Amino acid sequence: METRLIKKELLPGLIKGLAEDTLVYAPVQEEDDVFFRVLEKDMEPLAEFGNAKNAPKNFFFPQAETMMRFMKKERGSELERVPGDFPEAVLFGVRPCDARSFVLLDFVFDDPKYRDPYYMERREKTTIVSLACVHPPYSTCFCTSMGGHPFSSDGADVLLVDMGDDWLAECITDKGEKLLEKLGDLPKADDEVLARKEEMAKQAAAEITTSVPGKEIKPWLDENFDHPFWDSVHVGCLACGTCTYLCPTCHCFDITDEAKDSEGRRIRSWDSCMYWLFTRETSGHNPRPSQKERWRQRFMHKFKYFVDNYDAIACVGCGRCVRYCPVNIDIRKIAQDIAKL
Amino acid sequence: MEKNPYVPMPVNVDKIITEVTTKDIKTFRFSFVNKEDEESFAYLPGQFAELSLFGKGESPIGIASSPTDKGYVEFTVQKAGVVTSELHSLEEGTLMGIRGPLGNTWPLDYLEGKNVVVVGGGFAFTTLRSLTNYMLYEENRPRFGKITVVYGAREPGLLLYKDELALWEKRDDIDMHVTVDKGDADWKGREGFVPAVCKEVAPSSENAVALICGPPIMIRFTLPEFFNLGFSKENIYTSLEMRMKCGIGKCGRCNVGSKYVCKDGPVFSLAELDELTPEY
Repeated sequence: METRLIKKELLPGLIKGLAEDTLVYAPVQEEDDVFFRVLEKDMEPLAEFGNAKNAPKNFFFPQAETMMRFMKKERGSELERVPGDFPEAVLFGVRPCDARSFVLLDFVFDDPKYRDPYYMERREKTTIVSLACVHPPYSTCFCTSMGGHPFSSDGADVLLVDMGDDWLAECITDKGEKLLEKLGDLPKADDEVLARKEEMAKQAAAEITTSVPGKEIKPWLDENFDHPFWDSVHVGCLACGTCTYLCPTCHCFDITDEAKDSEGRRIRSWDSCMYWLFTRETSGHNPRPSQKERWRQRFMHKFKYFVDNYDAIACVGCGRCVRYCPVNIDIRKIAQDIAKL
Repeated sequence: MEKNPYVPMPVNVDKIITEVTTKDIKTFRFSFVNKEDEESFAYLPGQFAELSLFGKGESPIGIASSPTDKGYVEFTVQKAGVVTSELHSLEEGTLMGIRGPLGNTWPLDYLEGKNVVVVGGGFAFTTLRSLTNYMLYEENRPRFGKITVVYGAREPGLLLYKDELALWEKRDDIDMHVTVDKGDADWKGREGFVPAVCKEVAPSSENAVALICGPPIMIRFTLPEFFNLGFSKENIYTSLEMRMKCGIGKCGRCNVGSKYVCKDGPVFSLAELDELTPEY
């Protein structure tokens, strides 16, 4: 694995330089928040920040995207065009929790029987640069409980670590290697730096003191779909869907058509299991009729169903749903409460 | 290039048959515009497809024809929502799309060498019709034992595939029991609810598998009859319906426990359903 050093003050300029001829997604400051955006000329990419409010999944799986366009013809509408040929891109500044979410989303979209062409093409053409969390930014961080680590390189092509005066750049994949070559002649990191990095990684993990049970509660979930515990978890839930929209691993979507005169398009947009309409059938029957069933579905999908199917929890411990839930429903506490049952 | 599983294949609406007197159930016969699409649409009984009308959307519908029917594919559709209402307003000769085949099949390998009991109620006879025609096909018939069919509707005008039922009744290699809850002046057949007819016909559970589709109320009263006859949960199959969008296990809508009805189903044995959460 190649390791390089990038002078601290040079990094933003290198990223901006990259953005001159490549599509770059990067975290930028907008008022009080940080968001992943397409980096435009007058924007400053951030390298020192907590985490972006939005998860970067939308660059591979946009909140709304055109799946195909159609035209009305004499005997019925015909397919006109399927978007594709997406450009090469760099996704810069991804926290290790969010980078791990791509590994989980790949299970769904890179299914060997039905590969999702929209997600996969963007995913394959994008190089992901992760930023290790030297000091995990929030008290709501719990990546270490979900199989992650503040220095994890899962899902990353390059991992950057803030070493004080320099960024230590570790190439994780060939894609990462190519990107670093593009950034110019960078000095190699010596063993002292690498040893220091190992020490910092331990330190960073130790800073996360919240412990959330993950696979430990799976046996309980296997047996207790009807447990009275589920009668109260959802109380207070407004069904706003914020948790699912901000979640880096939530992947449910809707497909709808839009047409005006003789033209139209089929669109895929994010959807949420928190909404009553999500499962409501034309007959009026709804398999998940109340918020209780919908809340249980969200939790079960992450901590049981996904584990059954892919042997991984569909949560990376980013803490967004905890931070932004308007009624303070806390997935950590639910898992902890289950562990006590 | 790899096939995009979301892009429908163009089909021509060759024929539309109004199946019932209430006129809200029609069978649509499609032929593929492109030969290679017809070849890639290799299906087996029990599978479904997304019927696609650009501008309206898609609807997941069970395939009613049998793969032994060459040159076309049929779907029987009840007029219910946006897409199916638009479908019902189409004329023959329209171009539209279908996407599939999707989902699993009736357990054909498991049925081989066994006696097969087909039980359908009302509109829920479409993929069972596909299966029955498949089993009756000359080359396939020796692979299966005795075939018993119990099919019922509320009234004679609501029975699907009436011409075909009459043809099946004439054969000696299928034991037919068509029933209606209440007959009319012209009805010369049997009257009675499906569960009662099943009890009377009493198919042996010896080396037999039952495939049951129908409205929930029919299923609720039919299952005990089959348990009484000695059918185990492993030997009773049904097909589920759920709201779906992608049909390929990604959009999350038809998730029931750890399964997706679209890709792990729609066909499940009762034993398999016991393993799922009751959210369907």
